Amino acid sequence: MPKVKKNWKTDIYYYTGVMPEVEAETLPALFMKRAREYADEVFMTRKNYGIWQPYTWKDVREQVRDFHYGLLELGLQPTETVCIGGENEPEFFWAEYAALAARAKIVCLYPDMTPPEIQYILEDSDAVYVVGEDQEQVDKVIEIRDQVPNLRKIIYWDPRGMWQYNDPMIMDFREVQEIGRKAAEKTPGLFEKNSESVQPDDMAVLSYTSGTTGQPKGVIMKHVALLDTAYRSMMHMPTKPFTNYLSYISPAWATEQMFGITIGLMAPMILNFPEEPETVMQNIRELGAELLMLGPRQWEGLAAIVQARMLDAGPVRRLFYKMGLAVGMKVAVARTENKPVSTFWKALYPLADIMVLRHIRDNLGLSKCYYAFSGGAAMAPDGFRFFHAIGVDLRNGYGATEIGLLTVHMGNQFNLETLGKWYTSHPYFGDPLEYKISEEGELLVRGGSGFAGYYKKPEATQKAEPDGWYHTGDAVTMTQDGEMIYLDRVKDLRKLSTGYHFPPQYIETRLRFSPFIKDVIILGDENKEFVSCMINIDSETVGRLAEKRQIGYTTFADLSQNELVRGVIQEEVEKVNKNLEEGSRVKRFVNLPKELDPDEAELTRTRKLRRGFIEKRYADIIEAIYTGKSHLESEIEVKYRDGRQGVVRHATFINDTA
Amino acid sequence: MDTAEKKVILKVENLSLTFGKVAALSDVSLEVYDGEILSVIGPNGAGKTSLLNCLSGFYRPDRGRIAFDGQEITNMPTHKRAEAGIARTFQGIQLYLGMTALDNIMSGRHIHMRTNFIQNALYWVWSDREETDHRLVAEDIIDFLEMEAIRDRVVGSLGYGLRKRVDLGRALALEPKILIMDEPMAGMNVEEKEDMARFILDIQEAKKIPVVLVEHDMEVVTDISNRVAVLDWGFKIAEGRPEEIMRNPSVIKAYIGEE
Repeated sequence: MPKVKKNWKTDIYYYTGVMPEVEAETLPALFMKRAREYADEVFMTRKNYGIWQPYTWKDVREQVRDFHYGLLELGLQPTETVCIGGENEPEFFWAEYAALAARAKIVCLYPDMTPPEIQYILEDSDAVYVVGEDQEQVDKVIEIRDQVPNLRKIIYWDPRGMWQYNDPMIMDFREVQEIGRKAAEKTPGLFEKNSESVQPDDMAVLSYTSGTTGQPKGVIMKHVALLDTAYRSMMHMPTKPFTNYLSYISPAWATEQMFGITIGLMAPMILNFPEEPETVMQNIRELGAELLMLGPRQWEGLAAIVQARMLDAGPVRRLFYKMGLAVGMKVAVARTENKPVSTFWKALYPLADIMVLRHIRDNLGLSKCYYAFSGGAAMAPDGFRFFHAIGVDLRNGYGATEIGLLTVHMGNQFNLETLGKWYTSHPYFGDPLEYKISEEGELLVRGGSGFAGYYKKPEATQKAEPDGWYHTGDAVTMTQDGEMIYLDRVKDLRKLSTGYHFPPQYIETRLRFSPFIKDVIILGDENKEFVSCMINIDSETVGRLAEKRQIGYTTFADLSQNELVRGVIQEEVEKVNKNLEEGSRVKRFVNLPKELDPDEAELTRTRKLRRGFIEKRYADIIEAIYTGKSHLESEIEVKYRDGRQGVVRHATFINDTA
Repeated sequence: MDTAEKKVILKVENLSLTFGKVAALSDVSLEVYDGEILSVIGPNGAGKTSLLNCLSGFYRPDRGRIAFDGQEITNMPTHKRAEAGIARTFQGIQLYLGMTALDNIMSGRHIHMRTNFIQNALYWVWSDREETDHRLVAEDIIDFLEMEAIRDRVVGSLGYGLRKRVDLGRALALEPKILIMDEPMAGMNVEEKEDMARFILDIQEAKKIPVVLVEHDMEVVTDISNRVAVLDWGFKIAEGRPEEIMRNPSVIKAYIGEE
């Protein structure tokens, strides 16, 4: 296992490999270059009439040109904002390329945003045009348009349901293109000229933060920032030209701006658009997507499909599946934990692959996928390992809209605890990417094209970058191998009496990943000098383990305090400790002699811990932990189902970790 | 919609139908205008389905006549009516359960198929071209009814609401001049009902096909119909705009009983 690296130190990683030549400084310039180079190659496909219909670079260029001229005819000025909303479809991308070529900036809406959310974004971003997918999106904008006086036109590209809207403000995408086509005949060459006039420091995209704390902020993404990030990715994980990419994550999420939009132009990739959101899984399979960027929920969804289908399968198939996956899992676990694989399992793997794993990959449409990427949130280890077991190299990554992609699992390193190694930025775009971890444990970053600020929010910008470093707000730690581990949001860290900040959430989730642990209460605050925890063992899995090892036990209390069980839990705690800083490690733990129970108000009905209540109830145990006792005779009042009261009296052991 | 200027597409005159001594329909007259949604409502046993069956040719009326698009069709057999442009969907779904949604819709194209058995057996130029043309129509319907995700699913594996949609798709594949729907919302949940209501409105708006709707759900009827006709014990007791019908005392009497 990787060792933890010392803190408060700046590391710089210079990339020593081949430095690619920077081909363009803006997206429109890159678009033009590619359209010249690959005019007759396929750039986009969409499913229509049940068949994948290709658009060549030439086709796309024409569509973009017409819409570009159309927008200009309507009166779009440089630096104005065009808002685009809807599902991922070619028109979405065309509208973006067209607006960018006019030196305008764009802002995107998630298809499921509510009218008030849309209103906020339209107002805050000073949007003058909305390009929406269909009736649903248009209706939402109509609802709030009176509050957004700057809005000049609402353009839709799916005419379905729009047959009876007689509103001068609403226009069909094709109508705009028609106007544009006429204008293009009058002043040819303007599209090319405009595209070349875009400056690297022009704002390209405003990407709104989720706004979990206060109002959403529009992060300014300049052309140079998008290209910077794309080069970072291309330098470390080169994307093959004409990689089949399924554009599924919303361009309103900065990640799709980096992948679908920018790397799409750079590689260039073939952008495939799902027919409907419901057909995505089917479409991935039809396409044999080669690069997939999905959120953890979607990856877990894929894994769930397999598990659900196998439940319906016959006993023979199930047996083969189980055996094949078991072999894959053995190899995957070793691989994701960076340990050598035993020869036995290595020898069995090709057989398992031929009989089971390859077919699962094929059924999920992952057989051609050479770059699978998960980002945005943490993924449960089981889900992550499942993909490695079936032979898909799923990689974790980390980045911030404000400063681009920062880390990713590179090469053959797939430690699922980490977010991978640091990217090196291309020197063309600025100083090398640097980071440091502040005393509070916060990740600070600078370098590359840098942080361009929040739109019209100088105070928030100042707060995020007060000293030349961009403050991510994320608490992280580095392993010995230079891989980053995400702990928590900094504001969620807790402080010990020593002044040290530790990540309770992180420790709790990692411990709960253990099959033997059901619930965990992490202890440690300003009155305590080290971290400890109380564990509610999972009676079912631990019980089964006890049976297997032929250990007799009577009650839950008896089982929880069994020497072997305590040993097993200790191993689990120590496993988590290994990825933690010295100060955050769990020094002592107790297996609770009684299960936490919603009936006794220890948990809410949705199984959330009621920390205050629990800490009061088990005060004697907590006291014993922090006074250095090795065991105590705990007495816990319990209420039985029939209303009787009783007391559970049991010797409870306090365990010290290594 | 101003019905006065509209062309009458379907005209029912003094229709009567009896089963033994039971009068299912007594002297019912009705006009359907081009481009409208007409709902036929009434309590159980009012004769709604009997009327629809007369329109689509499953029953022959004892008296009266039915004219469609200026042509007398009272005694026309069902398949001729389909060719004339009358399509209907069923209350209990009548689909090919072992076939995919797409194939079910394609089956609705049969009246438009022109190639013969030999040509089809060889599956050469003519058949190939024809198949492509029909597939194009079917795909348009799939897009229209948002069935992309179930295109290749076997109908037997689909839920009830989706089967209803396939049924509607097959009816549309006839490219009808009028669509007759027998309780399209029966047995659906609220979301499925909303979807279906939207599709019916879309059919009216985009395809400009008049729809005759037999429906129990009063909310749906008042929301989407241009006009409503009310049957009770085989008699037409009222006809008019939905809001008028809801206030009509004889309609209230038929539904709720005497005050």
